[in-house]
Amino acid sequence: MTDAPPFSGKVAIVTGGSRGIGRAIVAALASEGADVAFSYRKTAKEAREVVAGVERLGRRAIAVASDAAQPDETEDFVQRARKELGRIDIVVANAGISGPTGWEAVSAQAWRETLETNLVGAYSLVRAVRPHFPATSGSVTLVASIGGLVASPEQLPYSVSKAGLLSLTRSLALALAPKVRVNAVAPGWVRTDMTASLHEAAGPREKIRRAIPRGRWGEPDDVAAAVVFLSSDMARFITGETLVVDGGGSLSWRAGVSE
Amino acid sequence: MFDLSGRVILVTGSSRGIGRAVALELGRAGSDVVLHHRANPAKADAVRTELTKLGVQARIVSGDVADPAAVATLVRAAGEWKGRLDGVVTTAGIYRGDASHQVGPNDFQVVLRTDLEGTFRTVQAALPYLRKSVRPAVVTVSSVLGGHAGVGAVAYQAAKAGVEQATRALALELAPRIRVNAVAPGFIRTDMNQAGHSDPKFHADIVAATPLGRWGDPDDVAPAVRYLLSLEADWVTGLVLGVDGGIPLR
Repeated sequence: MTDAPPFSGKVAIVTGGSRGIGRAIVAALASEGADVAFSYRKTAKEAREVVAGVERLGRRAIAVASDAAQPDETEDFVQRARKELGRIDIVVANAGISGPTGWEAVSAQAWRETLETNLVGAYSLVRAVRPHFPATSGSVTLVASIGGLVASPEQLPYSVSKAGLLSLTRSLALALAPKVRVNAVAPGWVRTDMTASLHEAAGPREKIRRAIPRGRWGEPDDVAAAVVFLSSDMARFITGETLVVDGGGSLSWRAGVSE
Repeated sequence: MFDLSGRVILVTGSSRGIGRAVALELGRAGSDVVLHHRANPAKADAVRTELTKLGVQARIVSGDVADPAAVATLVRAAGEWKGRLDGVVTTAGIYRGDASHQVGPNDFQVVLRTDLEGTFRTVQAALPYLRKSVRPAVVTVSSVLGGHAGVGAVAYQAAKAGVEQATRALALELAPRIRVNAVAPGFIRTDMNQAGHSDPKFHADIVAATPLGRWGDPDDVAPAVRYLLSLEADWVTGLVLGVDGGIPLR
C-alpha cells in the first residue's frame, strides 16, 4: 500500500505481547502504523525486546506486567495504556495458557486457572476498554484456536476456553454493534513457545505437518496478518466472524489420512 | 500489506456489482485483471478504463458461466493472456427470489447451473493456468443465504450452500499448492438485488436486522477478497468468510 499506513494515529492494546503469536501481532500492528500497549506476565526481557522493536519502527510502545486472569490488573493495564498513549482503537485479546494435558484428572484449580486466563481474561479486557472506545469506531479481535472448533480431549480446559471465546465473540459483536466490531481468529498448529515440545521433536512435528493440507506448520506472522486485516478498515463490514487460520487442518478427517 | 503487484487475476461477473468492486480493488492492490461479463460489454469496458487509469493492465473475456463449453473458452482466453492465472474470483451469479410454488420447470436448474456449476467449471477450467502460478489462490462467492436460511429463493440458497461445500472440498483436493476460500456477503446494494434495496420496507427491515446498522456496499466485500488472495493469507484455505455486517448473529 502506497498511502499512509492504515493504523497511523491509532493505538492498539494487546494482551500477552511478549512472545509467540502476540509478539507477531504487536509487530504487525506497529508496522502498519499503530502505537501499541501490550501486557506480559513473566517474560520481562522479551517484553523489552518487543518495545525496542516497535520503537525501531518509529512507533511508541509500552509494556505492562499484568496477569490476564486478574481483572484488576487488566483494568490497571488499560488505564495506563489510555493515559500514556492517549486513546484506544484496536483491541486484541491474545493472552492464553495451554492448561493441563489429558482429560481424566483435570483439577478444579486447573479448570479455573485456564478458563480465568483464556476466557474470562478476554471478557475483562473488553469490559475495561469499553469506556475508552472512540465515538465512531473500534475493533476487537479475540485470539481463539481451532481447539475451540474440533474435539481436543488431550487439552480439555484449553479447548473449552477457546470454544467459549468463539461464543464470546458473537455475543460481544452483537452487544457492541454498530460502533465496535468484534471478531475472532482461530489459529491451527503454529510454531511458538507453547507448541515447542511438538515442533521441536521430529516425530510429532512431521505427524502434524502431514495433517495440514497446506503442508506446513503455521508461523505467528500468518495469524498476525489475519488480526491486521480484521482490525483494519478492510474488514469494516465484518463482525461476529471467526477467521480460521490453520492451513486447512480443520477441514476434514481426510486431512490426517495419508494417501 | 495485502499487496498484489504483478499478479494476474480473473474475476468473473465483473462488469458490475461485487465483481466490479473486486476488480477495482485488485487493481488498486497492483494486480492485472481479466474482466468477465455475460452480456454487458459497455460496462465491462468502463471498468477496464478505470483499471487502466490505476496503472494496471486489463483485458475482457465474455460468455455465460452456465455453459461449460463457454466457460472453457473464456477461461482459456484469460489464462493465455499471460500464460498463467495467479488468482480466480468467481463472482458471476444470478438470483431468483421466487416463492417455491412459483418456481417453474427450468428455473431451479438455471440457478444451480449458473451459481454452483458455473463456479466449479470456472475453477476446473482454470486449473492448468493456476498450476503455472507461484502462489495460486481461488476465492468463490457464496452468500449469507448459503449458511443461514431465508424465505424463498430455495434454488439460490441451495446453490450457495453448494458453493461453500465445493470450496472446502476443492481446498482439500487442490492442496497443498492452490488455496481455495469463499466470501459470504450479506445484504449488499447491487444491481442484482435492486428490487430489494429499493423497496423502502425491505430496505428498512435489513437495516434493522443488521447489527452494523446498514446495507453493505460492493466496496465492503472487495477488501476481504483482496486479503484472501494475498500472500498474507498464505496459511488460510477452506475458509468461508462472512462479510455481512453481523446479520446472522441475531
